[in-house]
Amino acid sequence: MTQKINKKNKKILLVGFPSSGLIGTFATSYVVHTLKMNQIGEIDHPDLLPTLFVENGEILEPIRIYNKENLFVILSDIPFEPDLASDFAEMVVNYSKEQKIDMIVMVSGLEALNNPPASPKVYGLITDKSLEKTLYENQISKFLAGSIYGTEAKLLSKFRKLGVPTLVIYAECHPFFPDPNAAINAITTLSKVLKIKLDTEDIKNKMETLRIQHRNLMQETLNALQQKQEKHPKPKVPQIYR
Amino acid sequence: MINLDDDTNNFKKLVHLGLNVISSDDIEQQILSPLSCLREYESKWILEFDLPLVEKEHISITLDSGNKIIVEAKLKEKYYISNFHEKYEFNYFKKSVNLPDNIDEAKISAKFDNGRLVIIIPKTSKGNKIRIE
Repeated sequence: MTQKINKKNKKILLVGFPSSGLIGTFATSYVVHTLKMNQIGEIDHPDLLPTLFVENGEILEPIRIYNKENLFVILSDIPFEPDLASDFAEMVVNYSKEQKIDMIVMVSGLEALNNPPASPKVYGLITDKSLEKTLYENQISKFLAGSIYGTEAKLLSKFRKLGVPTLVIYAECHPFFPDPNAAINAITTLSKVLKIKLDTEDIKNKMETLRIQHRNLMQETLNALQQKQEKHPKPKVPQIYR
Repeated sequence: MINLDDDTNNFKKLVHLGLNVISSDDIEQQILSPLSCLREYESKWILEFDLPLVEKEHISITLDSGNKIIVEAKLKEKYYISNFHEKYEFNYFKKSVNLPDNIDEAKISAKFDNGRLVIIIPKTSKGNKIRIE
């Protein structure tokens, strides 16, 4: 099945990398897989540990760029630390300017306070008021209060300062285990934002296997997050002063 | 990248570490190592295990004399991991976790839902009360 993307839509860049519950990884990969997007490039950085993946005999770089019509995707299969996140953000911004991207969309996970939540929610965080309409039209609850740290914070901060309208879709999830179930909520919201049909049946059928398959990536992501916290401890500012 | 048609993802992350083994999975014994996390609360510890492809009846939890909790579970279907040109079969999950001190062993409870095992370990309170003058 080949999906058509409405050519009248804005040019959107979807950015995904491993984070809480691997929501970004699951959702972004699923979009690439379902839309059968073409790989059009790779992103390299001298400080990245040399890594290559092999799939069906084909060599893949860990950070790849995909495209189909007016949708672009940058997908990282490796978690990275904030020190590299800054450079990564600049690369993404440069790329989006080059491609005249109208909006960046990131997908990530958010730890539910009441775990597991009865009905996991999806929230949207925006860097630009022009995206309020996107939240409203797609019935996405606005992320009103909380803190973000690590790679996501670095990327978001950079996108905001450089004036690239960005929407982050946060799905409530289990932060320490791969959570494809929560990723389905993110994919459903993503589908509305991108105005494309994304059938989640395939991922639903393989959820348990995906959880086993992604144990190592989850562990590495947690290790990277822990390193981040050791290097840059979370600020313990009381809520009232935020 | 998720490859929904392939089971090779477990090996992806090992390439850059220069390892040629499957994390701490035990190929000979066909045992997978599940993810787990231990969180501390004021009155208890919560130990969680991610056990997809498992049914409640096939889980065994043992607390040994050395304050170590051992979780074993049989998979409801065989799980295969491919590496290079080999295919390995797995039938079980198994992991042991050392518990902290000052726990109320008699009141440990567990629940299992949607492939997640949650073990609730109450803390004991010891010591003398200090009077405020």
